[in-house]
Amino acid sequence: MKADVLIIGGGIQGCATAYHLARKGASVIVVEKDYSGRHASGVNAGGVRLLGRDMAEVPLSKASMEMWQTLDEDLGHDTGFRRQTLVNIAVDEMDLATAQAREAKMHDAGFTHERIIDQVELRERLPHVSPGCVGGVISDLDGYAIPFKATSAFRLAAENYGAQVIEGEDILGLRRVGDAWLAQGARHRYEAETVVNCAGAWADKVALMIGDNVPLSHAAPMLMITARMPHFAKPVVGAISRQLSFKQFENGTVLIGGGAKGFADRANNRTRLDYAKLAAACRTTAEFFPIMRKASINRMWAGLEAYMPDNLPVIGPAVNASRAFHAFGFSAHGFQMGPVVGQVLADLVTGGQCRFNLSPFRIDRFDRKVL
Amino acid sequence: MKAFDCAIVGAGPAGMSAAIELAQAGADVVVLDRADRAGGQIYRSAADSPLPDAARLGPDYAAGADLITRFEQSGATHLAGADAWHLGDDGRILFSYQGETRELHCREMLLCPGAMERPMPIPGWTLPGVMTAGAAQVMLKSDAVVADGAVFAGSGPLLYLIVAQYLRLGVQVAALVDTTPRQHFFDAVPLMPRALQQVGNLRKGLSLLREIRASGVATYRYAEKLEVIGNDRATGLRFAASGRQHEVSADTVFLHHGVQPNLNMSRAMGLAHHWNSGQMCWQVTVDAFGQSSVPHVSVGGDGAGIIGADGARAAGRVAAQNILFRLGRISKADRNQRVRADLNDLSALKPFRRFIDCLYRPTEALRLPRDAETLVCRCEEQTLGDLRKGFEQGARDPNALKSLTRCGMGPCQGRQCGHVVTGLLAQWRAESPEEVGYYRLRSPQRLLTLDELGRYGTVQAEAAK
Repeated sequence: MKADVLIIGGGIQGCATAYHLARKGASVIVVEKDYSGRHASGVNAGGVRLLGRDMAEVPLSKASMEMWQTLDEDLGHDTGFRRQTLVNIAVDEMDLATAQAREAKMHDAGFTHERIIDQVELRERLPHVSPGCVGGVISDLDGYAIPFKATSAFRLAAENYGAQVIEGEDILGLRRVGDAWLAQGARHRYEAETVVNCAGAWADKVALMIGDNVPLSHAAPMLMITARMPHFAKPVVGAISRQLSFKQFENGTVLIGGGAKGFADRANNRTRLDYAKLAAACRTTAEFFPIMRKASINRMWAGLEAYMPDNLPVIGPAVNASRAFHAFGFSAHGFQMGPVVGQVLADLVTGGQCRFNLSPFRIDRFDRKVL
Repeated sequence: MKAFDCAIVGAGPAGMSAAIELAQAGADVVVLDRADRAGGQIYRSAADSPLPDAARLGPDYAAGADLITRFEQSGATHLAGADAWHLGDDGRILFSYQGETRELHCREMLLCPGAMERPMPIPGWTLPGVMTAGAAQVMLKSDAVVADGAVFAGSGPLLYLIVAQYLRLGVQVAALVDTTPRQHFFDAVPLMPRALQQVGNLRKGLSLLREIRASGVATYRYAEKLEVIGNDRATGLRFAASGRQHEVSADTVFLHHGVQPNLNMSRAMGLAHHWNSGQMCWQVTVDAFGQSSVPHVSVGGDGAGIIGADGARAAGRVAAQNILFRLGRISKADRNQRVRADLNDLSALKPFRRFIDCLYRPTEALRLPRDAETLVCRCEEQTLGDLRKGFEQGARDPNALKSLTRCGMGPCQGRQCGHVVTGLLAQWRAESPEEVGYYRLRSPQRLLTLDELGRYGTVQAEAAK
């Protein structure tokens, strides 16, 4: 099978890249070893979050946030996106000091989308928060989406523009011959001018086939969701220094995250849960929101996610091969960036450049470090 | 934390029989069961029936009382009301007991999850007033409650049994609407001679049918195109039989067309499963001793393929002997000698089972919904039309379909819709159920309060002190 661009990985980054490329008229094949959205892209918490981002990510994240606001119309498919204020709670004065220090830094860099709120406003926004909490930081642009739906929306939109998504196809080998990339899949062979690595928790293997080494690790962040509850929290809830993170959906179910990690069994394509850590997440949630005590947990799960040592993604060209690009290692906060990353990669593939400074995301940024 | 030689989950015929054998051999065995009394579904309340004359429910039910008594005297630790919500393939079990999550370890685990009724997604099947024949049994056995003037529809031995039990107790039955197709009788004829080896079982079945016929209750055969009538609740059943349209008025409609293994425990554990095309359902893959793809986890009874209560008792005993061998308590030769009779009985049951499976195999018309607006997933209210739309958007895998539509995400964890979704996808993809697969399931097996899970770990730490 032949195409201009071969994208490896059918998650949100791969599908968004396929969408932007196909829209520009490129012929695109996406290969996905399981099914599109099977891993991190489809099972994450769905946070569409600008608040609290690493400074290096803020420009990309801000651009992506603008794209999210009209994404459903642009793609012609439902992503489940809802704009909803995100509140990071300050449980004590020390948290507030942290928030103030960050605010000063953000203002220096010219970013004004985060705002500190006091105890009164916190209680107005979250009447059920425990009385001890002293304030927080909010971002009004934030929101959430339904991860699998959003990934599917990109896939369907890419397919509308002629991209082909081949599921259940594992890439076993990749080589550069002359001006072409030749890929050997378990089912088919592929030939493309350009290859894009969006392989998530498996991206280090693909990078190696391309010729780049990368210190990628993987882990299994865990989530729980409750049965329907009366509506008690409109904003999405986070915390400055605690592992507190939840959102209540329109159907009343409450998704609890917090970043606790289970056991990642990448070789067997599965994860296991660590109940002691989930129990701790329950205690934290109930401590700050006593109304949650009686909530019934309906499901718990974990997904396989790729992490970089500095928790920043790899986005940009390969360093040891031509006509190859990477976008992976989002370290549990890549879902929100999907729309802009797709655009960035499409720009890189078609024109060789993009409007963002990608140097913090170079794949070889750890090569130069000497211990 | 307490470590046992063997933990058995489920105190039905298989679990109790296995526990008796293990305890007799001196093994340290614990049995976890959600109910307050042992018995499982089939022997529910058999030892403490609220009915004035439980003997009317039949000799099979009465036999349960004896097994329960022997189990209770066996020396096995019985944790009644222990609701296991996580079974680890490492031998760790987390369970709710008296409001707290507790934990135990075992060298060997025996799952006896039993069977559940196959959903029958005909139009109107989710209306109030529509229940399963199994629910009728539960109400009768646990609370001595019956529904007067109900219509029973479907096919299979359990349906006839509850109708006969109702009639014996003098309860009015509006009609029995039998959906067993005429063709199935022809298909089953060649299997009859070998099934006759189990003449006792055959006779039991025939006498039930005779009993129903003799009662004079309205019986319709070869019924098709079933539809529950009613807007807010069931008011009756509409169907076609003998070339005519019929309507039977009833406040309660009991549906049944067979049972299938209860998969949620074994699926959540990640044990290997396969599709049983004879029984049209998924079942755990086990060897002759009930050992699963994880060697220290065995499965007994209907959970490993529908075999009925007598078969379940034998399978439980066989699994127990194998576990004793694995524990090093008996030799392989001893095990083989002790299981011989039960294995012979189990293989003797097979021709009869095949006959029953063929005669009463669920028809596609009753197994899969027909109308776009019929609900498939009751928890998340997803209709056939919703699923078809998801499929057309590229969700070809049960899990992708679940992620896209929420079908199977509710508190029942796909118990109701799982087989239907496999069946629909197999039809739409024109592939086998085996290729389609099933939901990836996870713990918890049931709803768990945040409070309870939050105390997990702290309770353990206190217990350790």
